[in-house]
Amino acid sequence: MATNFENMSTDLIWLCTRGNNSMLLKRKQAGGVTFSRDPLNLTNIHNRKYEGFIDTKAIGINPSARNPSALTLTTKNASAVNPSGAPSQPAKLHKTHHFPANTHNRQIYRQLIKETTKQGYRVDLRQEMIARASALRQAQRTKKPTPERKPRGRKALKLAAEGKRKA
Amino acid sequence: MAAAKKHVPIVKKRTARFNRHQSDRFKCVAPNWRKPKGIDNRVRRRFKGQAAMPKIGYGSNAKTRHLMPSGHKAFLVHRPAEIDVLLMHNRTFAAEIAHAVSSRKRVEIIARAKQLGVKVTNGKAKVTTES
Repeated sequence: MATNFENMSTDLIWLCTRGNNSMLLKRKQAGGVTFSRDPLNLTNIHNRKYEGFIDTKAIGINPSARNPSALTLTTKNASAVNPSGAPSQPAKLHKTHHFPANTHNRQIYRQLIKETTKQGYRVDLRQEMIARASALRQAQRTKKPTPERKPRGRKALKLAAEGKRKA
Repeated sequence: MAAAKKHVPIVKKRTARFNRHQSDRFKCVAPNWRKPKGIDNRVRRRFKGQAAMPKIGYGSNAKTRHLMPSGHKAFLVHRPAEIDVLLMHNRTFAAEIAHAVSSRKRVEIIARAKQLGVKVTNGKAKVTTES
């Protein structure tokens, strides 16, 4: 049976894939949680609003593939998406915008909004977009090494006694 | 490591276990809870001085259910790439490395968690050596 994907609405795709798809991480802990590894999902929360693979318009912010300390904004090309939502030209589906590692954070936020929100593109994701960009920039900074723990109580006394014996 | 979001105090209404009726009297009756079903059973009929039975009233506040004392919920992680989903949730979720993960992978997971500011509940297991 030939499947005509052009006739499939995004809603139908969502109904088919919401229960299980390759990007989900389901856990029984904490009363059952599900996260999504979708690169076009800004919060990694699995729902219709945030899942980017479903929608004709979606935003993704991730560390650049080539340089992990740079950021890449990914959106969907409207011309490569059928009106139904199915990608008609998968190779041209994604539009990317790179932010080199030395770009100032505020400049990134301004540019992100200029590229999306100001153009009426997924206005509802504005806050999530900035939050993710901010969190990623924070994660890209080099972290201080964890200070070594000073021994307390009995261990400290033992160490002190050993030190005295040596001296 | 990000501290957990503020939450209402965690109250455990009961921390003692519920033991099966008469498990203290017979070796062959395990303490694992089984609801007494007998027609004359005094525990089932809730007589004075009898063992307490589990009921819904012992449940935790929904706001603090599944929370660890630190205020995080646990999320099981099997490989370094999986920890990235906690980037936007490092104040509500903590990573817990699955038991079968090797120490080599554990080091990678812990390093990534530190970058993302994610707490790891078992970060010292299989990684530190006895001196």
